[in-house]
Amino acid sequence: MKHEHLSGFSRRDFLVRGSLYGGSLWIAANLPRPKALQAAQASREPAVLSKHEWATVEAICARIVPTDHEPGAREADCVNFIDKALANEDAQALPLYRLGVEGIDAVAQQRSEQSFVALEPAEQDAVLVVLESGQAPGWPAGPIPAQVFFETARAHTIIGFLADPKYGGNRGFAGWRVAGYPGPRHHLGGYSRAQMLGEAPISPVWEPAKKPAKNT
Amino acid sequence: MKSDIFDVCVIGTGAGGGVMIDALCAAGMRVVALERGARLETSQFLHNDELENVVRDAVFSPHQLETYRFDEKSPSETGRFSQIAHCLGGTLTHWAAWSWRFRPDEFRVLSEEGPVEGASLADWPFGYDELAPFYERAEWDFGVAGEAKGNPFQASRGKGYPNPAHPDRASSAAFRAGAAKLGYQPFAVPMAINSRPHAGRPQCLYGGACRSYGCPIHAKATTYSIHLPRALASGRLDLRTDAMVFELPVSKGRVTGARYLDAEGAEQEVRARQVVVAGGAIGTPHLLLLSKSGTFPEGLANGSGLVGRNLSFHHHPSAVAVMPGEMRGFTGFEAHAAFDDLHPSDAKRGFIRGGVVAELNTFTHQPIAWGLTAEGIPPPYARWGGGLKQYLREFPRTLLIAGICEELPVEENAVDLDPEVKDRFGLAVPRVTHRQHPNDLAMYRWYEQKLLEVAQAAGAEKAWLGRIPGIHIDERQAQKGNAHNHGSCRMGDDPAKSVVDRWCRSHEVPNLWVVDGSVMPTNGGYNPTLTILANAYRVADHFVAKAQGQELS
Repeated sequence: MKHEHLSGFSRRDFLVRGSLYGGSLWIAANLPRPKALQAAQASREPAVLSKHEWATVEAICARIVPTDHEPGAREADCVNFIDKALANEDAQALPLYRLGVEGIDAVAQQRSEQSFVALEPAEQDAVLVVLESGQAPGWPAGPIPAQVFFETARAHTIIGFLADPKYGGNRGFAGWRVAGYPGPRHHLGGYSRAQMLGEAPISPVWEPAKKPAKNT
Repeated sequence: MKSDIFDVCVIGTGAGGGVMIDALCAAGMRVVALERGARLETSQFLHNDELENVVRDAVFSPHQLETYRFDEKSPSETGRFSQIAHCLGGTLTHWAAWSWRFRPDEFRVLSEEGPVEGASLADWPFGYDELAPFYERAEWDFGVAGEAKGNPFQASRGKGYPNPAHPDRASSAAFRAGAAKLGYQPFAVPMAINSRPHAGRPQCLYGGACRSYGCPIHAKATTYSIHLPRALASGRLDLRTDAMVFELPVSKGRVTGARYLDAEGAEQEVRARQVVVAGGAIGTPHLLLLSKSGTFPEGLANGSGLVGRNLSFHHHPSAVAVMPGEMRGFTGFEAHAAFDDLHPSDAKRGFIRGGVVAELNTFTHQPIAWGLTAEGIPPPYARWGGGLKQYLREFPRTLLIAGICEELPVEENAVDLDPEVKDRFGLAVPRVTHRQHPNDLAMYRWYEQKLLEVAQAAGAEKAWLGRIPGIHIDERQAQKGNAHNHGSCRMGDDPAKSVVDRWCRSHEVPNLWVVDGSVMPTNGGYNPTLTILANAYRVADHFVAKAQGQELS
């Protein structure tokens, strides 16, 4: 059997949705498991993705949030976030990624006779466009529609770019810098009225706190 | 201790259950409280982040599982759609704390509007005047901060709020300016969050992570921070968390207590003279329907066939704007300002009923929520690629405006037991069937345009209608879940048309009570919690008076 790693999974398993305010996101199963994420992210070595899978997922991430004059998903290490999530909380989605990488390569081969990672960025975008549309010539018949893989990878890239760096992405606060988000303040005493109104600056959490002015 | 019989067993510790537990313990009764979720500690709230709290929902409801279908002919999907919390204190533990009184007309929608085809409108068995003193008690217990005369469309009130209104953030100030320009009358949203120290709890620090988060300092009022500690201090509360009640056993037409699964999955049973179910509008009908017996083959107290039916949410038209300056939406709490001018019902608009409009940071308070709601966005923004990056960069300048709009109840919108999907204990999970009444869609579309006008009047550089998955509705897609759940065990005077009576006691089972949002026949155009609390205080007074008079059967 070609997709032996999918045995025991039904399409329904992949379609257990996450909820964001009652929305139905294309996040594969988020049934909680014991969290090993924070320990796992201490290492950038692949935990579950093969070298080729890692490179392919990294290339996909880099087209979802590209690098321009500021870092993108590649610099934020979204693939590391995804690898560690697939090793832990999102383990249920690992077969989806395995099949997805095979699928995106099959589509790339049919279009350009190359694997996805070998394509020029513009051609990679063209492949992602057909995946997103659900009409992806070359995509293998099976339990995972191209669209489901695309939407899962897209959501995971966004989350990896913007989640707390302790989960292995958002490296160097790259995502928060792009989004202009200064970080959580629960443990830093919140915000003043002037800061709420935009009348006083806010120091991001990654900058050392300014020393209070000395009384003169 | 099997022979030990408690005076009252309360199932659920949120708005309804928390108030009842506190009041009954204060009156000298011995109470056992069963909470399906865990006891969370405030120390952990300090470190919760957006991924684990909001996206994975792994803190408050790690085991929540439901199915949803559009109608009886549609396939169901499995997931977590209700924005509720399964933990000590219930959904209040991570609520946003908007605290309104319903308007008098919102208690008599059938009388006001007459029957509407396809909707199951009903009057409440009592009116605003009966609830008003209990609203006041809830406001003072919860330390609600607001402007006494801020909302010209509010119900009359005896006295002001216990605490002054909170300050604005940049986004609410911009919203106020836009609303005022169009002739609306904006005011501070009444919030059960301390604007100054109140009743032993400190003032809010405006850290931004409020809705979907626990408050690490108890500035946000909850039953977890107020009622449960008070009840525990009485020495009369036996509080059991991780206790998933799966059956209310009956004998001779009365409930004898509750059977539950503990943290290890072992079956336990408690006995009590009176049983109060407060599991919320999803959990309560779920439990009653699980409790089938020879006497009640269709589920406990379900002679009317209405247990689980008439489930209603609110619907939320929205407009999103990118403003010229920083909005600081990631500060403060969910909603700082609102206007109510569009609320009064006017059939000339093409629909009946209405709702309040507010500036809120639901999708702008933290970056993942902003990123994942990149849907229906205008160019140059896009769902991925350079357009997504540009969209992410707008995060600090975003303004979100939305309505809390009354949904018409529909009898076919319901909670029942899923015939296939089981939870971790093997129990049938709740299945939600929900579609929008045409009145909802007409109101939604009318409001959307009004909200867009406000965004433009506020000076938006770009503005668009919210197309957020799970919230946006049309003829083919309804909301799958909401934080506001009502109506699935409606109260009324007629046993054929309601599940519980005006005192929230079952028409059929004399020692069974339901005290939560599920008793609300209609849902008003405001967030429901203060109404659930006020009704719980009202029922508690009655319950205690009857108990002291030895009149509880």
